[in-house]
Amino acid sequence: MRVERDLDVTASPERLWAVLWDVPRMVACLPGCTEAREVEPQKHYEAHMSQRVGPISLSVPMQVTIVDVEPPGSLALEAKGRDGSLGASVAMSVRLVVAPRGGGSRLRVEAEGKILGKLGALGHGVIQRRAEELIDEFGVRLKRVVEG
Amino acid sequence: MLRPFALHRPATVAEASEILAQEGRDAALYAGGTELLVILKEGLLRVKSLVDVKRLPGLADIRADDGHLLIGATATHRTVEHAPEVHARCPLIARVARHVANVRVRSVGTVGGNLAFADPHSDLATVFLLFDAKVRLSARAGERELALGDFVVGPYETSRRDEEILTSVRLLPWPAGTAGAYVKYGLHERPTLGVAVALTVAGGAVRGARIAVGCVGPRPQRLAGAEGRLGGWSLADVERRAEEVGAEAAAAVDAVDDLHGSAEYKRDMTRVFVRRALLVAAGRAAGRESHERHPHTVVV
Amino acid sequence: MSVIPIRSSSSVRCTVNGRPVALEVRPEALLLDVLRDRLELKGARRSCDMQVCGACTVLVDGAPVSACTYLAVEVDGREVTTVEGLADGDRLHPLQEAFIDHGAVQCGFCTAGMLLTAKALLAEDPSPTSERVAEYLRGSLCRCTGYRKILDAILACATPKVAAG
Repeated sequence: MRVERDLDVTASPERLWAVLWDVPRMVACLPGCTEAREVEPQKHYEAHMSQRVGPISLSVPMQVTIVDVEPPGSLALEAKGRDGSLGASVAMSVRLVVAPRGGGSRLRVEAEGKILGKLGALGHGVIQRRAEELIDEFGVRLKRVVEG
Repeated sequence: MLRPFALHRPATVAEASEILAQEGRDAALYAGGTELLVILKEGLLRVKSLVDVKRLPGLADIRADDGHLLIGATATHRTVEHAPEVHARCPLIARVARHVANVRVRSVGTVGGNLAFADPHSDLATVFLLFDAKVRLSARAGERELALGDFVVGPYETSRRDEEILTSVRLLPWPAGTAGAYVKYGLHERPTLGVAVALTVAGGAVRGARIAVGCVGPRPQRLAGAEGRLGGWSLADVERRAEEVGAEAAAAVDAVDDLHGSAEYKRDMTRVFVRRALLVAAGRAAGRESHERHPHTVVV
Repeated sequence: MSVIPIRSSSSVRCTVNGRPVALEVRPEALLLDVLRDRLELKGARRSCDMQVCGACTVLVDGAPVSACTYLAVEVDGREVTTVEGLADGDRLHPLQEAFIDHGAVQCGFCTAGMLLTAKALLAEDPSPTSERVAEYLRGSLCRCTGYRKILDAILACATPKVAAG
């Protein structure tokens, strides 16, 4: 699954960048993502991802690693985890790019992910669309945090 | 092998609803089990209890109801296929039921289970959209009725509350002078595409058109824009210009990439099969049966 | 209102191939496992385990079901027919004879399911068209024969339609 989105906010690139770097707070903008916490500053974080599709619930403790930083603009992270009871592994790569735009800034989100295991095969048609919805909602919540 | 569960066999809807309210997501409703038992076997769902609805009185009934056709939730596809009331009032539905999945699923699987599981690749959920289908949801607290389009809200997602049971679906038979068709296409166990169309013809012109496309996206949809195009067309117009309607349907349809194909492929197949289905329906409106055959296609 | 509590058994009384059977089964027991492991009827096979292939087909009150995805408790009070119930002692069922005569058996893995599904079809429609046979057997998969000989064998058992006039 692959999702690309552009999000325009009225705040400055510096403000946007600062919010992104509050990684637990940024990650918590993703629906279903809770208990986000720092393990090693600017390097390792943990979060819990819960998603539900109809009767099926996915519950994944995620390890998040910042893999690339190019201040002031670009941040790449990888998130991995496994739902033992479903036998499903989740692996995502996300790149976030901040650029000035008009009087504010634009955040570009590029997310690529896989769900491995039975859920990945059976849920294939649902996953892309759900990922798009999640990233869209992430954008809405992040915008509220950044502009608020 | 399945993990152990308790099996409840309530005698009334109120009892069933009570169990669901108490157990929440630890309980699952069970009728034919054709979807439930598969996801339990896959380990995608864990429950402590099954709540068997097959003994609830009246839920298997198929009957007329104030001009409508009422199909009880635990009626099997096979029963619907053979039911005289369905043949009399909504014959397309009886014919579609004959082609759901395979004969084993049709012996056991139920209409209610099919709608409540909300698999995007559902033949019945698609064709029911042509009959103004309304589902009845019953619980201890009372009952409510929802249009099918408001009940099925996404892939495997319905607006049923945890303590509610889908007890029946009500369908409005077509007015006189309506001819319909259901065409499904696919190589896999579940169809890749299902197109249901109906043309109401009077005075030589189309007075009403219904087009529903299922399987290609998160849920089946009526395509109002494509339907509107056909207003006032003669049957000869339909045969000449069905391609345009197909193209409009393809542009409007919500399609997703999955193992059945890319969204682009599905839109293209929507274009092709809406055209084909319209030609079949127009032929039937003129008293002609189509004998066109296409690979991996069932014309109902 | 009844409940079979978790990890308890309940009595199932049914007939299997005409003979009465009484068993204690747990709610989660699948019919295929009960037939194969407790009744030693190995004709029905676990193949796809998700009811798409037909190798596990048995008849319950004459209707084909996927035993792999069917709870054993559901056969209480009903008649179960497996492939072992087709022959009458040494005498094969006409469908079995036809399958042999037409070369419709190669590895044999799908055969039990094909025979029982065909039996159900002919009970419902004794003179099916070739198209109807193919349609009814959709969902019974064979990897060996290419289906032609299976269809021929079943049609050979159909009652010929008497031409009108």
